[in-house]
Amino acid sequence: MSVGWLAVVMNLPTLLTLLCVLAYPIIFAAFLSLHTVGLRELRRGELPFVGLDNFWFLFSDPLFWTSMKNTMILSVFSVTAEIVLAIGIALLINRKGLWTSVVSRLLILLPFAVPPIANGLIWTFVYAYNGGFLNRVLISTGLIDLPINWLGNADTAIYAVAVPYIWRSLPFCVLLIHAALQGISKDYYEAASVDGATSWSQFWEITLPLLRPVIVVLLILRTASAVVVFDEVIALTAGGPGNSTWVAAWYSYRKSFQPPFDIGVGAASAYVLAILVGILAIVYIKLIYKPGV
Amino acid sequence: MNPLVRTGLTALNVVTILFVMFPIVAAAIASLQSELVLSSDLTAILPAEYTLDNYRILFGGTDEANRAGTIYANVAYLPDAIRYFDRALLNSLIISSSVTALTISFSALSAYTVARLRLRWLLVLLACNVFARFVPLVVLVIPLYVIFRDIGLTNSLLGIIIAQTGFLLPFGVLILSPYFADIPRDIEEAARIDGCSRFGSFLKITLPLSGPILVSLGTIIFIASWNDLLIPLILSSKQEFMTVPAILVSLIGDNAVFLGLLCACCLVALLPTVLMVLMLQRYVVSGLTAGAVKA
Repeated sequence: MSVGWLAVVMNLPTLLTLLCVLAYPIIFAAFLSLHTVGLRELRRGELPFVGLDNFWFLFSDPLFWTSMKNTMILSVFSVTAEIVLAIGIALLINRKGLWTSVVSRLLILLPFAVPPIANGLIWTFVYAYNGGFLNRVLISTGLIDLPINWLGNADTAIYAVAVPYIWRSLPFCVLLIHAALQGISKDYYEAASVDGATSWSQFWEITLPLLRPVIVVLLILRTASAVVVFDEVIALTAGGPGNSTWVAAWYSYRKSFQPPFDIGVGAASAYVLAILVGILAIVYIKLIYKPGV
Repeated sequence: MNPLVRTGLTALNVVTILFVMFPIVAAAIASLQSELVLSSDLTAILPAEYTLDNYRILFGGTDEANRAGTIYANVAYLPDAIRYFDRALLNSLIISSSVTALTISFSALSAYTVARLRLRWLLVLLACNVFARFVPLVVLVIPLYVIFRDIGLTNSLLGIIIAQTGFLLPFGVLILSPYFADIPRDIEEAARIDGCSRFGSFLKITLPLSGPILVSLGTIIFIASWNDLLIPLILSSKQEFMTVPAILVSLIGDNAVFLGLLCACCLVALLPTVLMVLMLQRYVVSGLTAGAVKA
C-alpha cells in the first residue's frame, strides 16, 4: 500500500467521526439558526426559513445581553482567580522538604476528577441558607452570628456560582504552572541569591517573567472554558435570583430545550458563543502552534 | 528553611488542603445523617447521630420493603431518579469505557500518520484537531439533538457514545502525535528492514512503546466522559438511558430529595473517578500537561 493510501485508511475512523459529529453539526447549527425550529416544526419535518430573524431577536433581547454581561463578569473573575491562586499553590507544592506540600500536591488533583454537576449539587448544601455547611462552619467558629444567604443576593450570586467553578478548574492551572516551574533552571536563583536578591524580588524578576508563556496559554484555554460554564448554573441557581446568573450557555440551553423550545434562537445564540471562542482558538493557534508545526 | 518560613508555608498548605477538601467533607458529613438530624440543629458541623441509610436506599431500592427500618420508613414518596441510580451507574460505566476504547483506538491510528507520514493534508488535519478542541459543547448538542432525533439515536447509549467520542477524539490525536513523533525512528526502520510493514511496526513497536501516554489518555478520556453532563442530558429524556450526571440533574429542585441523600448520590458519582486520579496521579499529570502545551 502506498503511503498516501495508508494515511487515508488509518485516518478513516477519525475522519468519519469528526465529519459526522463535529463538522456536520456545526454547519447544521448555522442552518438551524436561520430557520424557525420548534417542536411543531420538528414533528412536521418542515423548517421555515426566516433569514437573520433569530439573530435580530437575539440582539434585541435584553436577557441575551444580560447573559453576555454575566458571562463576562464570571469569566474575568474566575480566570483571574484561577491563575493567581494556581501560581501561589504551584509555588507551594514545589517546595522541597515539607510533608504538607506533598499532601497538597496529591490532593490538588482531586477536583479534576469530580463531575462538575456533582460538585455543583454539593455546593447547594454548602451554600444553603438554613443549615448550609458554610453557614454552619462560620457560625460555629464565631465568624458570623446570623446565616448568610449566599445565593440569594442578585449582586453577588454570580460570584457564588464562580467559586465552585474555580474549585474544579484549579487542578489544571496548578499542574501547568507547576510543570513550568520545574523547567526553570536553579542557576537563575543561585545567581540572584549571590547578588543579594530577596525571594520577593526573585519572584518578580525571575519566576513571573519565565512563567509568562504558560500564563498566556492558561488565559486562552481557561477563558474558552469559562465562557461556556453550564453545570454550576443548572445545579445552583438556574439563572436566578432574578436574571442575575443567566450566562451564555444557560441562555442557549433554556431557549432550545425548555419552553418555548425555540431551537432556532438557541442555535443562533450558541453560534455567537462559538464565534467568540473561535477567535480565542485562532489566537491560540497563532501563538502556540507556530507555522510548519 | 528558617522556622518562621516553615510555619508560614505549612499554614498555607493547610489552607489549600482545607479548600480542596471542603465540599467533599461537607458532602460526606451530610450523607451520613438523616434529614431530621440535619435540620434539628442548624449550626452543628458534625451530626449527633450517624446513619448509612442514605447509601442503603441508593443501592437497596426504594420499595417499601427496603425502606422499612431505615430513616425513610415513613416517607411517602421518593423520586424515580433514585430508583434508577444504579442503572445510571451501569450506563455511565458502559458509556465511559466504550468512549475510552474508541477514542484511544481512533486517535492512535490517526496520530501515527500525523507523526510518521509526511503528507501536507495531515498537518491540516492536525490544525483542525486543535481548532476542534475549542468547539463549545453547547454549540454541538443543539444540532446533534435534531440530527439524532431524526435517525433515532436519542434515548440510546450508542448515541451518547458516538457524540462523546467525536467531542473527545481531537484531544487524543493532539496528545498522542507528539509522543509518537518522539519515539526514535531507528527502531522502526530496523524492524522494517526485517520485513515488517508500516502498519505492523505501528502495532508491534509504536504502541508497545507508548504505554504510559496511552494510560494517561485513557484516564483523562474516561474521566471527561464520566463527568460530561450536556450530551446525556440533552440526548436522553428517559431515565433508563441516563448517565449519573443526567440523573443528578433530575434531582435538582425535587423537594422529596433530602440534602443527605443528594450528597450521597454526589459522593457515589465522584468516587470512581476520584479513585482513578489518586491511583494514576502520575499519568493524569503528564497527560494534562502534554495536551496543553505541546504541539
